[in-house]
Order: sequence, then structure tokens, then C-alpha cells
Amino acid sequence: MAATSSSVRESRDSTVQSGDLVLLRIPNGDIKGVKVEKDTTVTIGRLGSFYANELIDQPYGLTYEMVDKRLKVVPPRTIQEVEDTDATNELINDGEFVQPLTIDEIQKLKVSGVHVSDIIKKQIEQHANYSLKTEYSKEKYKKRKEEKYSKSFTTIEPTLYNVCDYWFNKDKTRIRDIRADSLSQMLNLANIRPGGRYIAVDDASGLVVAGILDRMGGEGRLLTICDTDSPPPYPVTANMNFKPHVTSNVLVSLNWATAEEDYTPIIPPSDIPEDQIRSERQKSRLNKRKAVTDLLSNTRDELFYGEFDSLIVASEYDPWSILEKLSPYVAGSGSIVVHSPHIQILSDLQTQMRGASQYLCPNITESFLRRYQVLPGRTHPTMVTSGTGGFVLHAIKIYDDPNASKVIFDRRKPKKPKADQATEQHVTSGSDSPLKEDTSIENTADTIMLDVGSQKVQ
Amino acid sequence: MWSTAREIAAGDLVILWLTREALQPLVITPGKDFNSKFGHYRHADLVGIPYGSKVASRKGKGFIHVLRPTPELWTMALPHRTQILYLADIAFITSHLNIKPGSRVIEAGTGSGSFSHSVARTVGSAGHLWSYEFHEVRAGKAREEFARHGMNDIVTLTHRNVCREGFTVTDTVDSVFLDLPAPWEAVEHAKQALRKDRTTRICCFSPCMEQVLRTVNALNDAGFTEITMYETLLRPLDVSHVPVLTPIGEISEKLKQAERKREDKRLKQIAAGRQQSASKRKREDGTRMDDQSPEAAEDSTAVERKRIKTDEESAGVPLDVLPEPVQVMDLDGPEDFDAPVAPSGRSPVPVSTAKISVSKVMSEVRGHTSYLTFASLQPFSPPPPETESLTAAVTPADVES
Repeated sequence: MAATSSSVRESRDSTVQSGDLVLLRIPNGDIKGVKVEKDTTVTIGRLGSFYANELIDQPYGLTYEMVDKRLKVVPPRTIQEVEDTDATNELINDGEFVQPLTIDEIQKLKVSGVHVSDIIKKQIEQHANYSLKTEYSKEKYKKRKEEKYSKSFTTIEPTLYNVCDYWFNKDKTRIRDIRADSLSQMLNLANIRPGGRYIAVDDASGLVVAGILDRMGGEGRLLTICDTDSPPPYPVTANMNFKPHVTSNVLVSLNWATAEEDYTPIIPPSDIPEDQIRSERQKSRLNKRKAVTDLLSNTRDELFYGEFDSLIVASEYDPWSILEKLSPYVAGSGSIVVHSPHIQILSDLQTQMRGASQYLCPNITESFLRRYQVLPGRTHPTMVTSGTGGFVLHAIKIYDDPNASKVIFDRRKPKKPKADQATEQHVTSGSDSPLKEDTSIENTADTIMLDVGSQKVQ
Repeated sequence: MWSTAREIAAGDLVILWLTREALQPLVITPGKDFNSKFGHYRHADLVGIPYGSKVASRKGKGFIHVLRPTPELWTMALPHRTQILYLADIAFITSHLNIKPGSRVIEAGTGSGSFSHSVARTVGSAGHLWSYEFHEVRAGKAREEFARHGMNDIVTLTHRNVCREGFTVTDTVDSVFLDLPAPWEAVEHAKQALRKDRTTRICCFSPCMEQVLRTVNALNDAGFTEITMYETLLRPLDVSHVPVLTPIGEISEKLKQAERKREDKRLKQIAAGRQQSASKRKREDGTRMDDQSPEAAEDSTAVERKRIKTDEESAGVPLDVLPEPVQVMDLDGPEDFDAPVAPSGRSPVPVSTAKISVSKVMSEVRGHTSYLTFASLQPFSPPPPETESLTAAVTPADVES
């Protein structure tokens, strides 16, 4: 029994729908993207093919075996406990002739329709040294053979994490090295929530846009600025299989020219007097043009009105120029989040931001992520891991009070000796909540802006 | 959750940013004062100013920034009741568990509510968070906090030991997050709470590897698949703006100048020595002068040379006996090589004023928080095992109190 109503408008269907781009994990661990279209046959490389209808309306996450283009659900497999034995590889020599079963014979078995598990069983029976192997090694052997012969795949739910992971492994340069962990930090730092208003600059194939849309759930406004004449396709969003309302009510775009306040976009006239319209076709064309013009003008007004909750940038262009252009539209206390694959870009940006008065405490972090294999008795970090997911700069937009700093600067010297006694009265009558334990604050307020970089974050 | 108005109003919760290590929550209560080493402020003076304002102290001493609360700022400002989760883990867990608007999530235990605030923000009013805390006082404090932050519609808090008693919902949630000392004891209960019509996910947060291993076994036994474990950390970077690094050509030039100067001085001393001994000899005996070798002359003037050098240095005057006049150049910078004197005639060593930004990882960083063990439960229905319904499904309204 569901406690909350099930009328929640979901951002996508929980099952595979006709027209979806579906990610499939094949036995060797690779992930393939396939288009599932009703009444068609889906082919997964050399692995095999199946009728698309077999997959439509199925929930994500299941494993299927392809048998004569039909799909058979394979029960989810749990980890098998491997018994430790005294076996070692002491007597096993590489390159020895151990497998009398030839490739041709195996091929014949496959063609004749013998099941994978039977072929592997046969190979094991014929294997000269199989019994000498450790149990772990036997496991690995079976797994390797399965990867080779199995005609199965698993559907992967297009969650933001999975889609990001897929793109990261497929082509990380196209998503500007944004790894799932970095992306989720960006979304949290930018305080993305349903109903928020955000500006994004996404030159990362739409990964950031996909993330923001996913976290907005069809409510609020996302205004993106792009470098092309017409709104960019943001290809990553296609993998999310969003329902129309997630995008259509939320996403609008401008480009770097139309985002300039003092620029007047060149727009052909759409308000032509009724008597001058010659045909229905012209009329519908004019209406279309008018809709585009109105959208552009409304979007510009919306940008220039400002008061956006956050600005999120993952761009190939100079981030300082982007911030100069767009940070005026961010509301006070709003977040500014900039991702870059390169630390140099963000180091320079941070230096520039520290020289400006409207950014509070710009700081840069790099995310570290390590995955572990967790098999009973065989738990260890994976041997190969991703080296970087890029760098993230975060700052808070503030309204400066020039007088405040002036007063502070005058008093900078006599303040030092007073610091100790002041710490004591830190928790004061006026505050409702006690301060967290750490009261060892050595910085006086006036030095915050000067040496932010040398402070520890968190 | 929190005010979305542009300006601060009476009764709003704000975050006072004193330094990046000292953030403090404050409920604006006109009539009260906020006093700290960063100055004196009247709450009433903050009413009506825009969020994000830098505010000067009434007495002109110091300033603070008054910020709009976000879950991320709350994590930095909240009163600690327990060890808390920070951004890197919160963000990664949220993402891996696919928590988004409309999601239904279970969290145990509530702790200091750092994760709860972030999840409540992300699931929004269409989603729901069931939070469980077994410590009565902490549960009470968290309940007050959630109410004060306007989260009652989104969060249902229950005081309960979930390892013993299970959860209050069945076949309902999309994901479960367990931050418990013995998460394996709650795995079966979690399975019951998870909905079965789609892939659902669980995350167990444990600092120790031994806990991970027990959890993995429990998850496996309960039929969870895709069991995997991650560790994630933030590496904060320290950026400095420094002068461009000196090329070694400049250093070698300085060394050469120093060497030339030394040689000049030596030659001058020889010349001076010769002059002295010559005049000395002239005074004593002019006839023996021809027999003396230059080397001997040099030796005999060793004492004199030392004297000259000492004189020059203590007086600190330019060597007026040098063939060319000497110019003292200030190459400023404390790390400069100790050779500030260059003979004129050569252009002074150029001092670049260009600066660059350099960054390095902070010297001390968080090294470990916890291991994040993830697993998922697939919507595959084998014949369902007979389960005695310990955990009846209840509506959130019933559970509260």
C-alpha cells in the first residue's frame, strides 16, 4: 500500500516504451544503446537480435536471454560463495595443451543449438588442468566462458547516474569529463529542486541540462545559453527518455548574442496587416514566426529580470567572461557552480573572482571516487579506475556593502589582540541555535576575503 | 522548505556566514540582538534586506553575510548531535539511489539531519522521506527542527529501532539509506519496505570494512543484486596567485655578475697591494724591486687585501677603485640570490611583474568518511516467501507522533 498518492507525475515511464533509447549491458560488461521501436527487430551487434515488442512495457533492470528472437527472463543472480581450498597454481603451466575441444567443435555445438551452460560444462570436462585450479580460478574461468558464449543482456534503467556513467565510459571528452559524482555535487551545490529557476551553460552534450531537468521534475525554469543559432539538441537528454512535460514546460534557450541586453536581434516582421496576407501558408508561416519571436523576447525579458537561483557552467569558453555576463542575473545568496576538466582554468577563475566583490568564498574541489569489488573473500578496489571527474568551483553570489569593508580595513590592526577574548562570547544571547563545536576561529572577519584560499573547506 | 522571497522577513531562518569555518543558523526575531566577535547586529535591522547581503556591524566593527539556507549550507551550520554526512557522500548517494522529485525514500537513522534536509529538498512536495531515529532525544530534536523548517509535509519522523522493529511502510519506497551500526540487521526489513514493481535501491553507509562484508552477505542472502561498494571524497584545492617562476637564466646571470665582481675586486686588491708594497719598497730600498716575482708580491699583500675588503664592506661604499663605476640595484624579493650588485653597462636583470595562479591539494584533507555499499532489488517475482506481516502499512499521518 502506497502511503503517498500514486498520481505523482513521473519524469519518465518505469517501463520500456516504444521509441525509447534503451541501454543494455551485454555479457562482457559493455553497454550498448539501442532504439526500441514497436514492431521492429533490435540487433545488438554480433550478440544477436530480438523482437522489440518483447521488451516494450517490461520494467528496467531484468536480464534476458535471446532465444529465437524472443526474450526469456533470467532470474537475478546473487553472488555464489566460493569455498576456499588448498589448491594453488603451483603445478599449472601456461601455454600447455589443456583443451582438446577445438574452436570448430565448439562452433558446431553452438550452431546445433546446445545451451551455453552445456558447452561450458563440456569444456570443463575436457580441460586437463581444471581440477588443479583454485576455486576462485574456476569461478573466473566459468565467468569468462559465459561472457564469450552467452546470448543475454540486461536492461539498464536510464537514471541520471546510469546515463552519466554510460557517457563517461563511452566518450568522456564529449561530456567534458563530468563523472557521476562530480555531476551530483554540482546539482547539490546549485540547490536544484522542483520549482527553482536556473541558468545553465552546457557545452557537455547536455549532461548538465539532463541532470538539472531530472532534478526539477517538470517544475520551474531552466534557461540555457548556447553558442549556436538555434537551441542545441543536448544529445544526452535523449538517453533520459523524459516525458514531454519535463522539458517542454521548463527549458528555454538563448545564445550568446541574444543574451546580450544591448543587442537587438534581427527578426523578420511577423505582424503583417491581415489584408496583405496572401495565403493560408503564409499565414501559418507568419504565426510560427510570431511564436518564435515572442518566445525569444519573453526569454530575454526573463533573463534580464534576473533573480535566478543558480548559475551552472560547464563550458568550453572563458568562464570569467561567462560569469561577467551572467552573474548579474543570479539572485543574492544564489550559487555559482563552474565545472572544468582543467584545474588551471578554475585556478585563474578563482583568482579573478577573489578580486571581485560579489562572490563569497569561491573554492575549488576535485572529487575522488573509488569502486570496490565486493565478492566474499575477494574484496578489493578495482584494478583500473577513473583518474578524474574534473574540478568544481563553487561560490555564493552576494551583495557587497563597500562601507562595511572600508570600516573593517581601518580597524584591521587594533583588532588582532582582541581576537582571543572575542571567541569566548561567540554563542550569544541573540542566537537561537548553538554554534557547532568548532569555535577555534582564528580569522577575524576582515581577513576572510584575503586568504580564503588557504582555508580548509567543510 | 525555506523562504524563497528576495528579502529577509521576521521569522525566517537565515544562515550567518562569519567565516568559511563558522556558519551559524539564526531565526530572525525582531527585538533580539546578535553579538559576536564579528560585530553587533539587531535582528530588526536584517528584516527587509535582500538575502545574500553583506551587513556591517552597527558599531562599524566587522561584518557578516546573511544567506538563504540551503541543505548544503545547513550541513555546514547545523548543530551536531552525531557524526554527519557531508556533501560528497550526500551527493553521490542521492545520485546512485536515483533520488529525484517524487521519490519515496527511507532513511535510518536520522542523526543530525544533514542527509534528511538534502533529500527533502530533492524529492520535493511530490516525494516523501520516512526517517527513523532510535535515540529518543535526538528524534525529538530532529522532529522540532523539521517542523521549524517547514518539512512536515515531506518528512515523517519515527522514533524506532528499525533493526528490531522494522519500518512503518511496506512495498512503498524507491530507495533505502541505512546509516546504522549494524545495517545487516535491517536489510530484510528494508526489502519489505521497498516497492516490487520496479528496480529499487539500497545504500548502507559504514565506516569499517568488517561492516561492509557482513552487509554484503546480508544483501546477497536477501536477494539483492548488483552489489557494489564505493568510496568518495572531496579534495579541496588551495589556489595562490604568485609571481611567474624565475627562469634559471636569470639566476645564472646573477651568479656570473657576482663572479665578475669578485674577480674585479681581487684584481683591484692585487693592484692596490702592488702599489702599497711598491711605495713601501721605494721608501725602504728601491734596488731590490726588480727581483721580486708578482706572486711574491701578491702573497705579501694578503694582509692588506683583507683589510681593504673589510674596509669596503663595513663602510658599504661603492668600490671607487673599480675600473667602472658600480651601481647598486635593488632586486627586491626575499628569496633573491645574495648578489645585489651588478656592474653598470649591462642592462639590469629584468624583474617580471606577471603573476600566475597555481593550485595544490590542501595539506590536510578528509581521508575517509565511510564505505558506501549499494545494491538493487529487481522487479523479478519468484514465488513469494511466506512473510508474517510484522510491519503493517501505515499512512504517514498515522506514524507521526
